[in-house]
Amino acid sequence: MSRAEELSRRLREELGNLVLDLETGTPGRLFIDVSKEALGKVAASLKNQGARYQAAVAYDARKTGQGFGLIHTFAFDRDSLLVAVRTFAPEDDPEFESITPLIPGAGWSEREYIDLLGLKFKNHPEPRRLVLSDDWPEGIHPLRRDVPHDLMPPAAEEVAFRLEKAPAGTSIIPFGPFHASLHEPAHFSVYVDGEDIKGCEYRGFMTHRGIEKLAQTELTYNEVPFVAERICGICGSVHSVNYAQAVEAAAGLKIPRRAEFIRTVMLEIERLHSHLLWLGVAGHLIGFDTVFMQSWRIREKIMWLAEKITGNRKTYGMVIIGGVRRDIERQRASEIRVVLTEVEKEMLALEKAILKDKAIHKRTKGVGHLSKEAAVSWNLVGPVARARGLAIDVRKDHPYAAYDEVDFEVVTADSCDVWGTLVVRVKEVYEAIRIINQCLDKLGRLPEHEPLSLVLEGPVPSGRQGLSVVEAPRGEAVHYVLTGDDNRPERWRVRAPTYAHLQAVPDMLLNNKLADFPIIVGQIDPCISCTDRVLVIKLGQGRAELLQKQELERISRSRRKER
Amino acid sequence: MWLWNKIKQLAISFRAGKVTLGYPFEPRPAPEGFRGQPVWDHTRCIGCAGCANHCPARTIFLRDICQEVRILLYDSSRCTYCGRCADLCPEKAITMSQNFELATDNRQDITQTIELFMMTCQRCGRCYDLEIKNYLDKLSSLGYRYDCLEVRKVIHRATADFSPDMLEKTSSYQRPDSLEK
Ligand code: SF4
Ligand code: SF4
Repeated sequence: MSRAEELSRRLREELGNLVLDLETGTPGRLFIDVSKEALGKVAASLKNQGARYQAAVAYDARKTGQGFGLIHTFAFDRDSLLVAVRTFAPEDDPEFESITPLIPGAGWSEREYIDLLGLKFKNHPEPRRLVLSDDWPEGIHPLRRDVPHDLMPPAAEEVAFRLEKAPAGTSIIPFGPFHASLHEPAHFSVYVDGEDIKGCEYRGFMTHRGIEKLAQTELTYNEVPFVAERICGICGSVHSVNYAQAVEAAAGLKIPRRAEFIRTVMLEIERLHSHLLWLGVAGHLIGFDTVFMQSWRIREKIMWLAEKITGNRKTYGMVIIGGVRRDIERQRASEIRVVLTEVEKEMLALEKAILKDKAIHKRTKGVGHLSKEAAVSWNLVGPVARARGLAIDVRKDHPYAAYDEVDFEVVTADSCDVWGTLVVRVKEVYEAIRIINQCLDKLGRLPEHEPLSLVLEGPVPSGRQGLSVVEAPRGEAVHYVLTGDDNRPERWRVRAPTYAHLQAVPDMLLNNKLADFPIIVGQIDPCISCTDRVLVIKLGQGRAELLQKQELERISRSRRKER
Repeated sequence: MWLWNKIKQLAISFRAGKVTLGYPFEPRPAPEGFRGQPVWDHTRCIGCAGCANHCPARTIFLRDICQEVRILLYDSSRCTYCGRCADLCPEKAITMSQNFELATDNRQDITQTIELFMMTCQRCGRCYDLEIKNYLDKLSSLGYRYDCLEVRKVIHRATADFSPDMLEKTSSYQRPDSLEK
């Protein structure tokens, strides 16, 4: 019996007729509809069975008389299974049970929908604004259908931050919204006692561009990939592939194999560029500029390569629904191989010269420590999780595109600190090169001059759900699409890896030295633009406080006891 | 060990030498297949609006100033150079050029405008009426485009559903004095 079947049977046994519908049509996916009362129970049951929480999606379903929909998605990484649990609440009482007490990583998702859809969550430990700015008028929830996408309420006069008071015995050092060590707007107010960090308050969501709202009101299916690509300046391809996969899954499309290989090649080229970029930035943050200069020099070759293949250095624009737009012919493939060989050689030399350098060890080992257990409870993903001994990698666990046919290793480390992240990302450079080479071999054997994309026959059916994951260089990115009418998605939700990681930053910072702040935040490679993708049109301040004071103190005390 | 590493790092840096290009003093042509500024060929364009309807950045505008004359305006300033317009044009009237040096302080420098003479269809003549509540929507259903060329904004349909009362109700909204717990 497959895991999906076993799970469905078990849920039916546990909950009886509270489970309204089960859909196991797509391999590796399980879509469950439950009644509202059962939400907490299902979440608890899934968690007990070892599921990793991913994200919540909520949408306005008032048009069809269903009120508001809320979907929690979970991943069973060992069984290649993604589960989406959906439930509805009536329009006049949009209250759901909060699962944050059970799964802390759900905190942000739920708060996001308090802001954007006006939902309520019972027993949420901190039901405060997250996404909307302090001066956004009460009672207007931008993701609701009746609010136009270009609504711009007048801004409030005074736009100063209102921050929390620092816990007793500490003082505040502000980092941001614009700070030399942060490359995008985000605000950390760091509580310090002397030089030791005792906690922090994070405020982000300052660069919302309303992309999700745009997609569901203005754009069409095939326009979204190009906008999705601009969610992030570094892992653009991840988002366009991910979105396209979600739509293809929802519409039941099987894209040409050649296109899948080309997508894989582009994703790995992007990983190369991102890892080298991050290595440079990490070097720069700890004041080791040789690393910065040299890894960026190596990276430049990748950028030129991408420019040749796709016509642009970074925004590849390769993906459309049903396939890709440009081919990688034999000639191109051999050009790619030449560049990869060079990059590999240079990277090995650089690795030898820096990874044994004591300066790096001193600045990264034991810094930004977060235990494996904490990584699990915060649902960390990607290199940050792999540096904590969690061998999770979407490419292996939930293979997409052509990853089922390539052979590679999931690199892990167990030092649980910045050093581990560094090692993982450096080693993954070689794995990426291996993957690309294998893909090129296989591409060479596939028939050429086949169509690279499907011709869609008729419109995408509406009301179908699609869930897709892609391993971005920083970690797993989740896209959820609910298809709609008018040739556009009814709901499209993006959860970037940084969304999960940022919630764990206060934990990583605890008891470190202030001087290490940039590299600790830098280790998650925070991508603020990915995280902030959703909704505010003007610059404002989202409110976010990650841990309550008491909780911080509790954690810091228990950490001290552990030592 | 420390010294040895530093020597290795020095060696890498020296071997790489100077990698910075002389650009802009030395030109650096874009590679073949580069997606630069799209260029319109007015002799080929038939004014079908395919490009404007699929431009993800909504930076191609059409205005029907009368039954016979349609104006197409492309504004580079918001273009993402994705090349969808060139892909989709049925007449291959658009080419993605090699041109990427587009910085300017005058928007007009990077604007292309074409005036197209359109025939009136003898069968429908864009004249039948539909039961649509809004005049803008009605025009659009007849195939007319009325994008605003002055502020360069696509006007797809009216946003008549949102009640301004909703905003009115909250106009006295004040930013909270302190964060509520
Ligand atoms: S290149 Fe893309 S963004 Fe630019 S005009 Fe064409 S379709 Fe629009
Ligand atoms: S450029 Fe091409 S797609 Fe655009 S209106 Fe002219 S013919 Fe149609």
